[in-house]
Amino acid sequence: MNAESATVRKPKLRIGFLSGIRHAVPYAEILAEMADVELVGVAEDSVSPAWMKGDSAKAAAAVGIAYFDSLVPLLDANTVDAVVVCSEPTRHAELAARALAAGLHVLVDKPIGVNRADIAQLAKAEATAVGTLSVINRLQSPAVQRLRRWVDAGTMGLPLHVDVEWFASGAHFATSVERPELVVDPSLSGGGELLNFLLYPVDYIRFLTGLEVVEVHCEASTLFSQLHEENGVEDCAIVSLLLENAVTATVTVGRVPAAPGLGPVSSSIRILGSHGNASSDDDKPQVSRYDTAGGISALPVGGPSSVAILRIMLKQYVQELQSGRTPTYGLHDAAASFAVIEAAYDSVKSGQPVRVSTAR
Amino acid sequence: MGSKVAIIGSGNIARDHLVALRSIPDVEVAYVYGSNLERAASLAALYPGAIATTDIDKVLRDPAISAVDITNATPDHARFTIAAGQARKHVHVEKPAALNLPDLDAMIAATEGRELSLMVGQTVRFQPSIATIAASLQGGEIGTPRLTHVSWYTGYVWPGGWRGWQLDAAKSGGHPVHNGSHCIDLAIWLLQRTPVRVFARSFPSYAAQMPVHDSFQLTVKFDDGSLALLEISYSLRKHADMLRRIVVAGSEGTLAHTTEDDPGLTSDGARPAPSSIEGAMTAQLSHWVDLIQGRAAPIVKTAEVRATLATGLAAQQSLETGRAIELSLPSIHAKGAML
Repeated sequence: MNAESATVRKPKLRIGFLSGIRHAVPYAEILAEMADVELVGVAEDSVSPAWMKGDSAKAAAAVGIAYFDSLVPLLDANTVDAVVVCSEPTRHAELAARALAAGLHVLVDKPIGVNRADIAQLAKAEATAVGTLSVINRLQSPAVQRLRRWVDAGTMGLPLHVDVEWFASGAHFATSVERPELVVDPSLSGGGELLNFLLYPVDYIRFLTGLEVVEVHCEASTLFSQLHEENGVEDCAIVSLLLENAVTATVTVGRVPAAPGLGPVSSSIRILGSHGNASSDDDKPQVSRYDTAGGISALPVGGPSSVAILRIMLKQYVQELQSGRTPTYGLHDAAASFAVIEAAYDSVKSGQPVRVSTAR
Repeated sequence: MGSKVAIIGSGNIARDHLVALRSIPDVEVAYVYGSNLERAASLAALYPGAIATTDIDKVLRDPAISAVDITNATPDHARFTIAAGQARKHVHVEKPAALNLPDLDAMIAATEGRELSLMVGQTVRFQPSIATIAASLQGGEIGTPRLTHVSWYTGYVWPGGWRGWQLDAAKSGGHPVHNGSHCIDLAIWLLQRTPVRVFARSFPSYAAQMPVHDSFQLTVKFDDGSLALLEISYSLRKHADMLRRIVVAGSEGTLAHTTEDDPGLTSDGARPAPSSIEGAMTAQLSHWVDLIQGRAAPIVKTAEVRATLATGLAAQQSLETGRAIELSLPSIHAKGAML
């Protein structure tokens, strides 16, 4: 399939979902808002367990689109232009590779994969694909984009250190995670919250500095969640990174009972530069509201960040495909962040800093 | 009747202590000791009735003196503390308490071993914002604290230029000991756990050739798996700027404070410290006076100070080796014995 000719021939970008058990509903709801997108349906593998079929069917029903009890109808370039892979993480790479082989554009939910073999499989699939491969990311966060503009303007000098704090709120666990096992059962999730979340901070750090991570030291623990404990996966971690040019970075990441933000996740960044410093927070600027009952609440400018950032990202993705451009965020970026996650897990195991395998 | 005390040391910190002690009732500074009489005299002049002296034996032999406040450089802390303990004086000593654990153990033995008090100047514990966080934790408002993240950035270069003893790890203990003590102590105190592993990474922000980098980060793992990520940086461009952000996540909630939210003064005429840290030295020394007069239980426990020093020394070792360093400290907190 040729994206440019597809744009000419088809007034709407036809998008399907390969599995709908994880994040499909929020992604579909945003895509459904776009006039130039047609949602074709959600397909689940015919050999998937009954609960996956049930959940995928429910996701399709929730957004009023068709459900297919087989992947075949949506692995067809005559039916769809692009698919969003919303399965459990351990199936991401396999489904994405099959969709690439079918000549489709592929947007994979994060994380892109759960091990090095997944990355290799995708690299191989992408090498001969006519479609593009991209991954859900948060680099379009207005707060992050603002920081990047400040870095690029040069007034902050050279970044010397970047600190990222990223928390998901356990208070929102029941509403933001479809099934707990998708996050805590390694046979589905591939790991704990390091695998689930560390890619976001690492994406930020690479995006803001233009530098690759060369060494990782990571401490991880199960601090709060009994579910994580029972499944032997971490819910929190702290990470020290060495980047090229001796730049350093730190990350605090995980799922805490109450994240210090306004929504299901909180994300803040601090940059120390040679000629200045800067900070950002996805929930700020914000407006305070004081009510007559004595309550205080805060209104993030631009709306709740989780949805707002996703909306910007998906809109840009659709525009890129419709204009025949390769999505900005591709396998190279996802693989680089994954390599850091892999090194972080190795560091947790050894208790020592670990070199990143893909470091230039 | 107030306690008579002596200030040991005549540097910048001694001046801060004198000014704070001037405002505290029930205490009288009788001596200011220094190796340079002129400098000691200039400080003693700040406190009505204080006598400047270069004779430490005279101070320690004076039966009217019940306690000494040791403010001189870290390498001198041990010998002055031990001498004071042998003379049966209570001791307040600036942080870091010592350059190594044997020295600190000897200091503890010379004081607490004689049923005298030894208080280390962990000033940050007495800052209003930190005291508020600690009180909230003590009240169980966020359940059990398990994770803390501290970003502590300032615009400050220590005095002395290239002659500064702070640039010599042999005299300062290394930067994680010298300037990391507050942050490490904070994590140990707030989490109430014992460190078991530390990793450190550093960078120089304004003088790449410095033997001691001005900025560093620590990851600390504790005996129950609790975690602390601590960042210290002296890289802010404007002198006296400060940005400090603290997050403590607990089993039932999270506490967070940032100096960005503090009311502040912007003026060419003055640059006061953030309002969330004001008055800390006075609160610290007031507590010391309460301690030596038997009116308070110690807020700063020497077991915690020992763990802080061990962690700082391990962090310095980590900086030198590039490796994470394991710690084998006795457990310092009874479960549930918050603060």
